[in-house]
Amino acid sequence: MSISPLPGDASHDPTPNSGQDQTGRFVRQPNGRVRPLSPHLQVWRWHVTMLASILNRITGGALSVGALFVAAWLAALAFGPDAYATYTAWMGSPLGLLVWFGLTVALCIHLAGGVRHLIWDAGEGLTPKTADVLSWLSIVGGVALAVLVWVLLFTSGRVVL
Amino acid sequence: MSRLTKSYVKGVKVSERHGAGEWVQERLSSLILVPLTLWGLWSGWMMSGAGYDGALEWFRSPVNATLLAVTLLVSLWHMNMGLKVIVDDYIHKPASRTALLTVIGLLCVVIAAAGVFFIVRLALGSAPLPAGFGA
Repeated sequence: MSISPLPGDASHDPTPNSGQDQTGRFVRQPNGRVRPLSPHLQVWRWHVTMLASILNRITGGALSVGALFVAAWLAALAFGPDAYATYTAWMGSPLGLLVWFGLTVALCIHLAGGVRHLIWDAGEGLTPKTADVLSWLSIVGGVALAVLVWVLLFTSGRVVL
Repeated sequence: MSRLTKSYVKGVKVSERHGAGEWVQERLSSLILVPLTLWGLWSGWMMSGAGYDGALEWFRSPVNATLLAVTLLVSLWHMNMGLKVIVDDYIHKPASRTALLTVIGLLCVVIAAAGVFFIVRLALGSAPLPAGFGA
């Protein structure tokens, strides 16, 4: 193109048949302006920082559901021995234990991910290499901590299947 | 306060409305939750398999009850901000977004109020509910 179009100027539409752009790199907005699309997900080379970011969001969502389980635990306890027995029977079932294991994994990943973000927010570890290392550390470390907790829970006999 | 006086601090551009406050709140709640989460894992460990009496015994300690209440409230604060970011990212229709955020906010307030109510009762050794609800 000989002249660069003004931002959002539809008269300098980069696509000859606007709205029929086959490259997918431009989009006609509802107000008629043509704007470039930001590069989409599949354009980027995969990086572990992506996985770490996605995991932090997913585990955060899962932990929101976990908050309801904790609230239910408090309620069961406050409503007395019968309610508490019902609660522990549900949560101590194989499915219940699986859910709590999942919540522990989510908690540990989110915790490690949070520490990672705090390090980054302090302005440290932001080169591509250290960012990758911190991402791997938070994921592997989080899962390892959760597995350790549950191995100890079973071996100590505090939780039985 | 005018926007112009607020938008620069020491020559550095800062947010003109509430963005910086949200950023700080997210980090502050994370920072508080790091030790509390580790303590929560430890507490979960202590109460696993301890049964009803073991849990009640745990609540007799004012330190435990206080820390649990703080953990619950800060977690809900953090959770509310996190869910807001997710909703803002994926829900584009303003009416739906507002409705969803309102529901989430109300849910957080209800859990916070109910949770603190239960914790206080358990810490005081009150009779099981619903008998003597107000006692």
